[in-house]
Amino acid sequence: MKRAKIDYTEPELIDAVRRKERMAAEALYDMYSTALYGVIYRIVSNEDLAEDLLQESFVKIWNSFASYDENKGRLFTWMVNVARHLAIDTLRSKDFRNQSKTDVVDEQTNLDKDEKYSEIHQDGVGIKELLAKLRPQDKEILDLVYFKGYTHVEVSDELNLPLGTVKTRLRSAIITLKTFFN
Amino acid sequence: MENIKDYIESGVLELYVLGDLPEAEKLEVERLRAMHPEIDVELQSIEESMWNYSRLHAISPEDSSRDKFLSRIDLKEDRPPVLTMHPKKERTNFYKYALVACVSLLLVSIVVIFNLTTKLKDRDQRILSLETSNQKFANQVNYQKKQVDDSRRYLEIYRNPQQYKLVTLKGTDKAPDASMKIAFDAVQKQVLIDLSSLNLPTIDDQHQYQLWAIVDDKPVDLGVFDYSPSGDGLLSMKSVTNAKAFAVTQEKRGGSPVPTLSEMVVMGGI
Repeated sequence: MKRAKIDYTEPELIDAVRRKERMAAEALYDMYSTALYGVIYRIVSNEDLAEDLLQESFVKIWNSFASYDENKGRLFTWMVNVARHLAIDTLRSKDFRNQSKTDVVDEQTNLDKDEKYSEIHQDGVGIKELLAKLRPQDKEILDLVYFKGYTHVEVSDELNLPLGTVKTRLRSAIITLKTFFN
Repeated sequence: MENIKDYIESGVLELYVLGDLPEAEKLEVERLRAMHPEIDVELQSIEESMWNYSRLHAISPEDSSRDKFLSRIDLKEDRPPVLTMHPKKERTNFYKYALVACVSLLLVSIVVIFNLTTKLKDRDQRILSLETSNQKFANQVNYQKKQVDDSRRYLEIYRNPQQYKLVTLKGTDKAPDASMKIAFDAVQKQVLIDLSSLNLPTIDDQHQYQLWAIVDDKPVDLGVFDYSPSGDGLLSMKSVTNAKAFAVTQEKRGGSPVPTLSEMVVMGGI
């Protein structure tokens, strides 16, 4: 269902959210829900849980909006980090581990993900082209950090790579993104 | 400059955007960002990349999620969404309160200003009366000082007959009752009129009395003076040597180079 979009610039949206306007809540959700849901889904690999976490994330974003400082970064960067932390914390919590059978996500699931994703993804355009450009060793590290919630120190331990290499590959991945999207 | 480049290339900015930095390093990035535009530019481009990367992975959630989210948060106004960017109610409320605040502030200010003005006027009045009495007092002191000075000089003159010759000038035919006294200081060649001794006919504003000394049978101008029956003190005139006699004539205001003999009122010799 497509809705009439309200055109807020980022600063306008931030101001409106601070005023707790209904329009702002709607615009915030409409502008960012698909991107956040995509990230959350990749982290938890479960649609129901991802839907719950998306709601939790938006409620948390709305209620703790006072702690957002636009001088420290873009709105999306802050929002996606709220959502990622919520998702990662849920995955790592005892309750979740106890009730979930997929305690450790096996390698196969990991490999399947991009495929599964293209199915769900609305247009699916671009991701294959990007995957062709991203070096697998760079992408692996970016995704471990962004979608698995690893710290770069944990990645270094996990993959048995020097910290410097982890940082270099992460940067290299993002530089590739930069060129790709330009 | 080179350091900044190294810093950017270290990968720390990517970790910052991914939320993977300890607090201290996070603050360091924020501090440097404010100082170096190139760091800010780099951070923005990393954020833009991650935004695009995330959008590439975007998935539409169930529509119900949106309504659930909206029903779970506190909103300023609960009317159904209308396509208006500026909720009017909130604005008018704000202006209403602002207006009330402004008016109260204005009223308080007026009362305060009125009070202050009244107090200020009161002070001004008191300062004015103090100044007046101060001036009166100063005048009194001056007057008394002059009187003391005059008395001292009188005493000096009368105590030193060797130095001061007292000359009494008597009325002429023109003014038989007129008289005055002059002290002639032979040492300092000074001529002083004893104003308290003056007894001369009253004259109009256009005229003044002029004092003359007779030296070698010729009149020498010693200056003009005004006459008032209640005069007091000593008036210094021009100095002269070898004066044999003194005379006073009535002249036009400012004096004349030669005396008008017909207007002579008093004279007297030493």
